[in-house]
Amino acid sequence: MSKHLIAVTVNGEAQTMEVPARRMLSDFLRDDLHLTGTKRGCETGTCGACSVIVDGEVVKSCLSLAVQADGCRITTVEGLGSGDALHPLQQSFMQCGGLQCGYCTPGFLMASCALLARNPDPTVDEVRHGLSGNLCRCTGYTQIVESVMNAAEKMRGN
Amino acid sequence: MRDFDFLQPTSIDEASRMLAELGDDCRVMAGGSALMLAMRQRMLTPTHIVSIARLDALRGISFDARDGLRIGALSRHCDVARSPLVQQHYPMLAAMAAQVANPQVRHQGTIGGNLCYADPATDPPSCLMALDARVTLASSRGERVLGMEEFLVDYYVTAIEPDEVVLDIRVPAPSADAAGRYTRFRRTAAEHRPLVNVALSVRRSGARCHEARLVVGASTPIPARVARAEAFLAGKAVTAEVAAEAADIASADILAVSDSRGSEDYRRDMVRVVARRTIAQLFDLAADGDTP
Repeated sequence: MSKHLIAVTVNGEAQTMEVPARRMLSDFLRDDLHLTGTKRGCETGTCGACSVIVDGEVVKSCLSLAVQADGCRITTVEGLGSGDALHPLQQSFMQCGGLQCGYCTPGFLMASCALLARNPDPTVDEVRHGLSGNLCRCTGYTQIVESVMNAAEKMRGN
Repeated sequence: MRDFDFLQPTSIDEASRMLAELGDDCRVMAGGSALMLAMRQRMLTPTHIVSIARLDALRGISFDARDGLRIGALSRHCDVARSPLVQQHYPMLAAMAAQVANPQVRHQGTIGGNLCYADPATDPPSCLMALDARVTLASSRGERVLGMEEFLVDYYVTAIEPDEVVLDIRVPAPSADAAGRYTRFRRTAAEHRPLVNVALSVRRSGARCHEARLVVGASTPIPARVARAEAFLAGKAVTAEVAAEAADIASADILAVSDSRGSEDYRRDMVRVVARRTIAQLFDLAADGDTP
């Protein structure tokens, strides 16, 4: 069936690749670009483990086709920090215990990152609302919300 | 997911001809969030997807004091929620759009796609029906306009013809005395789809309701106006008793569904509560429970 040449910028790097129409964005990132930080969880748009940022907005990459992202700028969890330097959100998740098994964490980090870019000083309710598309089966969410509030404070320079 | 061809027409005419030719073997993709889910679960197995993402005529949100609001069909839920025009002139519509599904879906899903999918357990159709919105359908044969009540036919069925796409959604300009409120009820905070929703759009002065459009959705196959409750509210000074009686009428008069998400009795009970609170909150009555 149809194949498409797509040009995307992933974590600042331009990528051009031919993909079949049916390739999901999550599979493109993991299997074609070998960026396995993005997780496949439920693959039905429920759990949010596959969340990535496309043109500034967090989306579920298991519900989008790679061909839909043609021309877009994509950020995955690999693009958050730089080398060994962790992003403030990653530091805060470590510091506040915002994870246990860690499988949902890349999705939470990306949803949190998009949330703070739009709203640098959120309330706890706004954080919960902003993360309502992501599921965590370990933490009970309290430490995740604390992690995001902690990171928001750091990122505002306090 | 089964293999398919992905087509990207650049004009309504081209898209319409493709759709006419491919018929039932193809599906239209706007944002794709609902379509991808249905395809991944093999509920749909089209051989062709016609993406309408390149149809620029389907984009944009604009407002005119005489003609009202125009929302391009490709506007995402987050675009509707964040639009200063929608926030200023139709706060109930902006507030509704900010609650659809979850953030990721709001960034991908479109208002046109949502209406065409006609999932009963969703938010926009009820709210748009209460606001007397119309849907513009376009094809190579021309355009036609349908009210929400004509557009929505049944559970996952709309009046759209195979060669048509939704061009835009139009909402009449609000009168100076217009007010409205949209409320959704979920059994748990983790649910993304409403079990019941109520949309109420009125013309009022103080406690006096001049005219009401009361719509119940999510517990009905398609959102439905409750004519008897609307007639009951019209002309009345709305008190807690009036709100309760109108809510009783809404609960009794709807065609309630019964399924694994909620029995008919439970849904009618929740419709009563949500309708009463929605009316009470719109008319600034003493606190009647928290927003469900």
